[in-house]
Amino acid sequence: MGIVSYRRVQIVVLCEDRQQEVFARYFLKKRGFKGNITYKICPSGSQSGEQFVRDEYSKEVKEYRRQTNHLSIGLVVLIDADNNSVRKKLQELDALLETLRKPNEAIAIFVPKRNIETWIHSLQGEIVDEETKYSKFVENQSDCKPYVEELSNQCSQGSLNENSPPSLQDACKELQRILPLKDKL
Amino acid sequence: MLKKIYIDNFKCLVNFELKFDSINLLLGNNGVGKTTVFEALRQIQFFVLGGWNVSGAFPLSSCTRWQNVVTQRFELEIEGNGGIYEYILRIEHKAQQSYIKYEQLFFNNRLLLNFNMGEGEIFNDDNISVVKYSFDQSLSMLPAITQRPDNMKLTWFRNRMLRFINIKISPNQMDSVSEKEQFLLNQSVDNYSSWYRYISQDQGKVFELINYFKEILDGFVSFKFENFDDRRMVLNARFSSEQDKNKIVSYRLDELSDGQKALVALYTILLSTKSEDYTLCIDEPENFLALPEIQPWLVELYDFCSEGKIQALLISHHPRLIDYLVSPSGEMLGNYFFERESNKPTQVRKLDHQETEEGGLKMSELVARGWV
Repeated sequence: MGIVSYRRVQIVVLCEDRQQEVFARYFLKKRGFKGNITYKICPSGSQSGEQFVRDEYSKEVKEYRRQTNHLSIGLVVLIDADNNSVRKKLQELDALLETLRKPNEAIAIFVPKRNIETWIHSLQGEIVDEETKYSKFVENQSDCKPYVEELSNQCSQGSLNENSPPSLQDACKELQRILPLKDKL
Repeated sequence: MLKKIYIDNFKCLVNFELKFDSINLLLGNNGVGKTTVFEALRQIQFFVLGGWNVSGAFPLSSCTRWQNVVTQRFELEIEGNGGIYEYILRIEHKAQQSYIKYEQLFFNNRLLLNFNMGEGEIFNDDNISVVKYSFDQSLSMLPAITQRPDNMKLTWFRNRMLRFINIKISPNQMDSVSEKEQFLLNQSVDNYSSWYRYISQDQGKVFELINYFKEILDGFVSFKFENFDDRRMVLNARFSSEQDKNKIVSYRLDELSDGQKALVALYTILLSTKSEDYTLCIDEPENFLALPEIQPWLVELYDFCSEGKIQALLISHHPRLIDYLVSPSGEMLGNYFFERESNKPTQVRKLDHQETEEGGLKMSELVARGWV
């Protein structure tokens, strides 16, 4: 018959694990990204999540640049800083590319330090530092939902708690940078 | 939430037990008994709801063929209503006759119903015996019990049994014509239109569904029932015309493609059952779907399960589905691998983290190679 359905991926989320994926999804949904999002997380039986993101990042950027000539798409990357600084992590990702990211490219990188659990514990009201390894939310990855949604509001309104970890404050700036590009998707 | 099922002497399932989480994936080769678990659940559901008598639900031919045993046993453990329900059914087949040896229902280890060799006893919410009587040995006692203020625990269980959706979608059987509303969705989803009539009584659900379909089906406007004849209605999907957005073009449900019908069924099930304590048993949900459609549906399902809004039991051979669900951080997942040799019972083991994390290949590749 006359009806054809096209489901085209508009945003690729590349991240280390399921907790980062869930975090990104709640955040993007709350921010009004309604398009089709596909998630690439480190599969079981693979290398470390961090290595997976690094391996896939250059491939995804290459494909983004190839497709963006005729499609409106975006790439969102989450990678833990672990013991490194956020700046060093971003430099490491930059080094994987032939050409550096440009401001008009819808490629956003979020680097939780020490990791995504640090952010979630902070959002839940704990006083955190970026060196301690905080507990994972085993079997409760969706518990972060209300906090992530609140974070999404705070980020867009520029009202993030000033005691938030510096890496989370950097992430909010990154979000504000790409928000104007959202309308193109 | 369904916590556990125990099945003994039903087809290839002998002394078989499976514990469930909020989202569960049953993996394994063809003929190892995955679908048989769904079938047993469906038979128990129909039996408990009064759709079938014992020989209709569990005929002698359903006994395990290679052993000479004439008793069957089924148990369900369901969490809900602030406690744990345990339902036990034992059936005997003798001289071409099938009958219930006993049927019992417990709530937090206390009896609510006890049927033993033709004599039934009902207990009220305070666990006091309120009535004893003889009952037909071919029928479940549960459908015959009238809901009263003092037996809410017992009738809660019966109502919970209504909230199992157990399907393997056959889009080519999805009829657009409906005679009446139907609460239960058939295994093939052939009665989608009648089921949609039932759920569309809730305008909030319809609103959410329509908005969702507008996002995934280009030009979709709404569903609309129209009179087919004096007693039947036909379900149409209405789309806006590409040239003139105000012009509406209608298609009967059965005129959509198989993939579109499967998509419509999957999202309707997901969105209309969330937050209502349903268990969805879906055999190969990805069948008929285009590749880009699989992950979006799966992600929605995952989130609903993760948030405790729904429980899902899935059977799948699809790499996208397997690799998504068998992930390193999937502790809330029950991933089971089924195995069986010819004329031997099904063996099942839970895929633990070590198994999925130690190697270097994706789970779907390990399954494809038969290395699990």
